[in-house]
Order: sequence, then C-alpha cells, then structure tokens
Amino acid sequence: MGSRSSHAARIPDVDSIRRETGFSQASLLRLYHRFRALDWNEKGYLSRVDLQQIGALAVNPLGDRIIDSFFPDGSLHLDFPGFVRVLARFRPVDDEDNRNRDPKEPEPLNSRMNKLRFAFQLYDLDRDGKISRQEMLQVLRLMVGVQVTEEQLESIADRTVQEADEDGDGAVSFLEFAKSLEKMNIEQKMSIRILK
Amino acid sequence: MSCQLKGLGEEGGGGARGRARSSPPGTGDRSGRRPSRKRTYKAKNAPGRRQAPPGQKEQAGGSPGSGSPRRKQAERRGRHREQLGERERGSAEKTCGGRRKRDGRASLREHQAPPKKEKEVPRKEEMWKQLKKHRSSSSASSTSGGEPLSEEELARILEQVEDKKKLIATMRTKPWPMATKLAELREAQEFVEKYEGALGKGKGKRLYAYRMLMAKKWVKFKRDFDNFKTQCIPWEMKIKDIESHFGSSVASYFIFLRWMYGVNLVLFGLIFGLVIIPEVLMGMPYGSIPRKTVPRAEEEKAMDFSVLWDFEGYIKYSALFYGYYNNQRTIGWLRYRLPMAYFMVGVSVFGYSLMIIIRSMAGNTQGSTNDGESDNFTFSFKMFTSWDYLIGNSETADNKYASITISFKESIVDEQESNKEENVHLTRFLRVLANFLIICCLCGSGYLIYFVVKRSQEFSKMQNVSWYERNEVEIVMSLLGMFCPPLFETIAALENYHPRIGLKWQLGRIFALFLGNLYTFLLALMDDVHLKLSNEETIKNITHWTLFHYYNSSGWNESVPRPPLRPADVPRGSCWETAVGIEFMRLTVSDMLVTCITILLGDFLRACFVRFMNYCWCWDLEAGFPSYAEFDISGNVLGLIFNQGMIWMGSFYAPGLVGINVLRLLTSMYFQCWAVMSSNVPHERVFKASRSNNFYMGLLLLVLFLSLLPVAYTVMSLPPSFDCGPFSGKNRMYDVIQETVENDFPTFLGKIFAFLANPGLIIPAILLMFLAIYYLNSVSKSLSRANAQLRKKIQALREVEKSHKSFKSRATARDSEDTAKGNSKNATQLTKEGTAHHPASPSQTLDQKAQGSRASSSAGRTVSPASQHPGVRPDSGQAQPQARPWRSASGRSAQKPPH
Repeated sequence: MGSRSSHAARIPDVDSIRRETGFSQASLLRLYHRFRALDWNEKGYLSRVDLQQIGALAVNPLGDRIIDSFFPDGSLHLDFPGFVRVLARFRPVDDEDNRNRDPKEPEPLNSRMNKLRFAFQLYDLDRDGKISRQEMLQVLRLMVGVQVTEEQLESIADRTVQEADEDGDGAVSFLEFAKSLEKMNIEQKMSIRILK
Repeated sequence: MSCQLKGLGEEGGGGARGRARSSPPGTGDRSGRRPSRKRTYKAKNAPGRRQAPPGQKEQAGGSPGSGSPRRKQAERRGRHREQLGERERGSAEKTCGGRRKRDGRASLREHQAPPKKEKEVPRKEEMWKQLKKHRSSSSASSTSGGEPLSEEELARILEQVEDKKKLIATMRTKPWPMATKLAELREAQEFVEKYEGALGKGKGKRLYAYRMLMAKKWVKFKRDFDNFKTQCIPWEMKIKDIESHFGSSVASYFIFLRWMYGVNLVLFGLIFGLVIIPEVLMGMPYGSIPRKTVPRAEEEKAMDFSVLWDFEGYIKYSALFYGYYNNQRTIGWLRYRLPMAYFMVGVSVFGYSLMIIIRSMAGNTQGSTNDGESDNFTFSFKMFTSWDYLIGNSETADNKYASITISFKESIVDEQESNKEENVHLTRFLRVLANFLIICCLCGSGYLIYFVVKRSQEFSKMQNVSWYERNEVEIVMSLLGMFCPPLFETIAALENYHPRIGLKWQLGRIFALFLGNLYTFLLALMDDVHLKLSNEETIKNITHWTLFHYYNSSGWNESVPRPPLRPADVPRGSCWETAVGIEFMRLTVSDMLVTCITILLGDFLRACFVRFMNYCWCWDLEAGFPSYAEFDISGNVLGLIFNQGMIWMGSFYAPGLVGINVLRLLTSMYFQCWAVMSSNVPHERVFKASRSNNFYMGLLLLVLFLSLLPVAYTVMSLPPSFDCGPFSGKNRMYDVIQETVENDFPTFLGKIFAFLANPGLIIPAILLMFLAIYYLNSVSKSLSRANAQLRKKIQALREVEKSHKSFKSRATARDSEDTAKGNSKNATQLTKEGTAHHPASPSQTLDQKAQGSRASSSAGRTVSPASQHPGVRPDSGQAQPQARPWRSASGRSAQKPPH
C-alpha cells in the first residue's frame, strides 16, 4: 500500500482531477508517470519541446496542431491537470457512464461532442469557430504533400465545403462539422483503450 | 467522484446488459421472479456473512436473520419501511451494503416513490469516505499477501467493486425496464460477492489473484491472436502497400489473384488427396503394366531434359497424367475405388468452382448494397478522418501519405465524372461509332482466325510445309493478341467513359477476342482427338495380335511357362486423354514463361532504361515517350481468367496440372508484386475499383461454363482409350458410376437411382428450378428497386434540408441580431440531440422530459416534411409554421437550465 498512496498523494489535487475527468485512480497514476517521463528536466510542467520529442507526433502531419491543442490560449506551460484534461477526451465512453451520471454535472469530457470539438480544433487554426477554406487547404497541403496539384487541392477543399456547409457562409462551423461526421463512430474511434 | 464512475469490468456489465436486453420480456415477471429473489438474497448476504470490511460489518449485523430465503414477506416489508424512514431522516450511518440490500429489494417490487435527490448527495460523500477507509484496509492487507497483481490492478478491481455497489444502490432510480434491472442487479451482486471477499481478506485471494492474472493474460492473448490472424491473411501487407501506391483498382487485381490462389489450393488438395496420393501409395508401381511404363522406343531419351520439358518421357508415364491410372476397381488394402474417385473428383472440381464463384458473387452483391448510403460526405470524411493517429512509424506514415493522396485522386476522378457537363448527342454518337469500330475489329479478327485455321487444316494434310505454314495459327493469334488490345484502348478513348466503366468495356472486348484463341485451340485439339480415336481400332488389333503371337508362337519350350511379355515391349495406343492433358500442361507452362518474360522485358528493362539512360538522352525519357509502364489491369485479369479456364479444362486429363498452377500463381504473386512496386507507375487517372469485383467473377463464371463444355462433351460422348486411364475397357467414362451403384450399393438404391434418372422426373425438376429462379429473380429485382427509391429519397431529403437551412441562414444574416440567437438555438438543439442527458436540476426533470419528447419530435421533423408532403418544398412557407413553435419552445427551455 505504502508506495501507491505516496504516489497518489504526490499528484496534486487528485480528487478534483478525478472528478473532472472521470479517470480511474490507476490510469491517473499511469498518466502521472507518463507526464513525469515526458518532463525530462523535471520542471513540473511540459513545454512544447517536450511534446515535440514524441516520435509518433513527429511523423504526424497534424502533429503541430495536436501539440497546439495541449496549450490553450497561447500559454507555454502545461501542468498535469491540463494534460489530463486534454487526454480525458480520449477516455472510452461507457454506457454505464451515461446512464447513471448525475444529471447535475456538466457533460463529461469524453462525450461525443467534446471528442468532436477536439477534432474540430485541430482544423480550426484561428479558433474562430469555423473551418474556412483556407484552413482546409493548409491541412490538405500537410496531408497530401506536393503530389497533388494546387488546383486539385482547391477543388477538394471546395467540394468539402460544399458538402458540409449548410448555411452557405463558405466555411464549416462546428455544427456542420458534427453533422458531416454523424455517421462516424466517434465514440469508438476517438478512444484510447488504455485510458479506461 | 468515483461513485459516478462506472468502471465496470467489460466482462461483467456489458454481458449482463446484453443478456438482459436479449431476454424475452416474459422472464422479467412472475415466472422468473421467484428464483431470482432467492438468489439476490443469498448474494447480498454472502459478503456480509463472510468477513466483511469493517464498515459493512455493523450494517450486515443489523439484520442477521435475513440470510434465509424463506423470510416472511411481512417482516421484510416492515424492515423495509423502517429503513425508508431512516432514509427520510437522512441518517449518516447508511452504508453501501445497507443501501444495496434495500434497493435490491425495492427494485424487486414495483416502483416506489422517486427518491429525493438532494439527500442523495450527502450520503454519497459519506460513502466515499467509507470506501476510502475500506480501500486502505484492503490494500494494506493485499500488500502483505505479496500477490502477483500490481497495485494499479488492485485499485482498479477495487473501483469496479465499488462501482458495482454503487450501481446496486442507485438501481431503483434508473429508468430501465424491470427485467433489465433484475438482470443487472443479479449480475452486480454476483460480481461484488465474487470479488469483495477476495479483495478484502486473504481467504479466496490467491485464487482470485490467479484468476485475474489469467483473465488479463487471456485478454492479451486474444488481442495478440487477432493481430496474428491479420498477419495470417496471406500477402495482406503487400497488397495494402500496393493499394496505397497504385490505388484500389490495381489492388483489386491482386486480391483477385489471391482469391484464385485460394480456390486453386482447394482444388489441389482435392485432386492430390483423393487421386494422386492414393495412386502413388497404393496403386501398382511404375513398370508393372504397359500403361505405367515408358515404351521401348522412347526409353533412350526418356530422361533427357528437352524431352521432359515437353512433358514426354518419364513425366508422361507418371501419376500426373490420366494414362498412368489403372482400371482396377479397387486398389490397395483399403480397397480404394480409384476410378470412381477419379471421376467424382473431376466432377467436384467443377462443382466446387461453380459454388465458390457464385457464393462470392452473392456475397459481393450483398456487401455492395449495404454501404450504399455513406457517399454523402465523401470529401468531408476523407478530409477530417483519413489520418490514422496511431501511426508512429515514419515508413507507415509515408504509406499513409501515399494512400491519402491516392484516395483523394480517386474521389476527384469520380467527382469530375459525375459533374461532367457534356454534349449528350456527341457522346452518344462517339460511343456508337466506337462500338461499331470495335465490332468490326472483332469480326475481322474472328474471320482471320477462322480462315487461318481452315488453311492449317489443309496444310496438315500436305507433306512438306514450311515453318511459317506450320505455325501460322500461333503467329496470327499472338499478333492479334498483341495489337488488338491497344487498338481497342485507342478506340475506347473516343467513348470518354469513366475509367472504371472503361475498364469493364475493355475487359469485355478483349475477352471476346480471346474467345477466338480458345476456339482455335479447342478445334485443333478436337481434330487431334478424333484422329487418334480413329486409329485406335487398328492399334487395338495390333496389340491383340502381338500378344497372341507372343504366347502362341512356336520355338519355345512348352514345359516351361513363358515369361510374360515385358511391359515396355507391348504395343499400345496413342492415349488421347494424356495427349490432351499434355497439351494443356504445355500451354500453362508457356503462358507462365511468357508472363514472366513480358514483365521482365516490358516493365523492368524499360524502367531501368528510362531511369538510367535519362541522364544522357536528348529528351526527357521519364516524362516523354517511353516513360514507365502502367500496370495493365485488363490484360492481367484476363490472362488470369483464361489461364484458370485452361486449368479447369485440363485438370480432368492431367491431375497434376493444378499443382503446376498453384506454383504458377504463387510465383506470379511475388513476382508481380515486386514488378509493380519496382517498375510501374500509377495510372494517370487513378480510379477506385468497384467495391465488388463481380465483373471479374462474372467473366470467370463464363469461362468456367465454357471450359465445362468440352470436358463434358468428351466425357459424355467419346469412348475412353482401351489401354490407358482409369476408365479403360468401358464404353463411356460415366459408366463407372453405374458400375459402382450396381456392385457396391444395395439393389433398392440402384432402383432409386434408375428412377431418378428417368427423364419424366428430371424434366419437371428442371422446370421447377426455372420457376424458382424466375420467382427469386423478380423478388430481388423489386427489392433492389425499393432500395434504390429509398436511397433517392434520403438524398432528396438531404438536399431539401440543405437548401432550407441555407435559405434560413441567409434570411437571418440580413439582420444580425437574429444570427446570435439562431446560433444559440442551434447549439441547444445539438446538445439535446447529441447527448441523451441534458444538464438540468432534478426539480426540472418533468420539464426536461417534456423537452425530450419535444426534441424527439423535432428530430422526427427532419423526416416529416418530405415524407408527409412529398413534393412540397419546406421553404415554400408550409413547413415554416411547423418549425416555429418548436424553435421558440427550445429557445425558452434553453434559458432555463443554468449552464
């Protein structure tokens, strides 16, 4: 027992984090270890550089965006609660969770909408709540590189906007984004099994 | 708070729920209640009776007698009332166990008054504290035990147990049907009983820990096994690699090739297992009888490579060919009926192929109708969801880049095709013209083939013919095969089809051309067979007379019996079946070689040349004339299909042919995979393969049918050779069945067979089958029509909705005030539709329910305008009044709950 409790105690505000994110004690502990492993010079927080060293993010065309999403409103430090809060979106959804959730509490972080919102943020560069055609083009360039001509890229972006845009403003709002991904099994796809 | 968290083990909660839902509604009431009540009693008291954790002990001790299932109802009710009273007072002594008990009982009865939620909260806090205590004690004891489970593991189990308890406690507040509740309750109690004791005390702990360990291992094993299964799909990685670089159309060829390989493996197993291996193991050895011996005249050269390469010599007299088999009814100590097996295997090769093709065609059709609806947001899906965020390897990432690019290109081609605005009359004219030209080409080449074959028949009668005259047919055929497909492709450019449809046309046309090839080949073969058959009678006489003279000739000591004539010296007929088999064998091998050489020269050398000579050439080789080769889908597919036709035709007369074919497919898989990755470039217009490659399958079916015809003809109407093969001595090959039925089955079965073979029975059966086919066909047609209509409706609905929304938003955009409101409305609408639980205080539950019903009616509204008033556009004013009241209602309700 001793070691575990001391670990758990070392995590600041364990209980409030648990309440907010819904993680179990065990996975919080694991995440905390991971957090400290990433924080290689033991600053107590993570900076962008720390995250950029993760190999899987380096090959990801949207890696920078993902890292950005860990640092809301331009801050440079990522503390553990923030770290967990971002990852909480990827907690698998339990039916049980929904069923006996206290209706007074706000929607959990791993709800479908919050998962979608996270994905939406990856594309919404300027955080104006809309994915414009320009933003789409940038992502496309990241994803397909130089193998497709600019013209084709533009036609792709146009088509995407045309498909998803419902109010005719030439950009994809979050609602439209959610609508277009209606059929996608987001609950399952945006869940990481180990974050149970 | 962890009480809210339901980290139920998947094995427990999920399974229970599934069962509860799937169980018929009847089990929830009386019939199922009695036993369940007992069980719940036992279950809930079991942990109490054992050494319960300190917090629970008092509680369990409070009701010591409740363990017996035969308590009187009144007593229980009284205690229950008492507890209810306690609860009203909000006493702090309530613990998990007590509430569990009470709620369990409550849920067994009908619903009581809804619980007061405000009181729930302090109790939860209380419980939380207690649980903490409980946990600390339990984990302290667990560490002293030194068990193999990690602490995290323990913590998780503990949590699960607590969650279960919590579930039991809150069971009655849940809006589930009674049956679900009962099942859930039972499940949860079992879980708690099972794990709590183990966690809390040392008693069942070791066993429990062991079980947990095993469960963990099992989950991991299952995961690994799934991975393993994926890895076991042969060439999956290679094909995916190709698909990511060349698109699904090229990959479809390789998938087809893989499928073909599987089919051939089964055929190979059938033929080798039931014919060749029994013959080799149990049949008479080589050299024992004339048909199993190389004749004296050929003995000299029988082992030369050039002879073996032509499948003459020792190979000809081996189990690979029809002629080697003896006509003994049974062989070996197993009394294996080889001729019968030979015949049945020949039939079942066709039967199996037919069945597997039709089954896979049917499966493909089903698959293609299932996912017809997902094409609404193609680009959005590709845009937002194509990257796989689990990729952590740079090589995989490169592949993913390629595949995303390709898939975008494919959709662009599709889109361009569907949006193309064109001159309909011009296209029609051009298409008719192209078809006319191609029909002319086909007719011309057909006549040419006919003409050449006629000529060759004349040449074969003449004595000294030149090399060209002898090989004229082959030369003409290969010239046609070389020049016609590019010509067709050029003409097809006129038609301006989508490449996917273009490929089908191209395939069909080349198929027609290749049929000519097949026709000439079969014609030549048939001539040969008839020639040999006509000679057979004379050879039979010669053999007979030779043997007769040998045994009856004078000049031998009569007292000593003559040694039998050596099998090599016996004169024998030209076994036409073996000749046919050899012909097919040669064709297959030469086809394989030609494919290899074409790939090496046409693709690989060309790629090398272009790649390396580009440094010192006057023009840009890569972009200019020779360039790199594209993968020729149509040619390869047709090659494969026709090759398979050869196998089907030949396998009856050369059982070893399938073995050769398996090797050929195997090498061609690796070789072509390598060649396509190393020396081909993707098509200029990469297009998506149609999801079902039913077109390939259809061609294959046609070829199967075509190749069945000659085999059936020879089996049914030509007499087998008199001195070779399993059917020698019989009038027809199928007599073997009659013989078996007569000799090996009881007589009444023979009568039944004879009765079944009566045309009076067969014709009505065939008629019945036709009727059934007609009926099923019409049913499936009407179903698919309905399907198409529904799909169209959905599409139209979406369009209507879209235009409606854009109209609205344009209207609202005019006055900016409304825009913000509209957004908030949209937001509330979305949260309501997206999530089942809307945050609201408990006092508003009724209100919320009402909202919910309104929301659901609003969800229905999206469907209603078109379905109720077909043809009425919702933005034409009629739908507006329908929509408004709801909107305002949701707007009002949205302001109520504090966010």
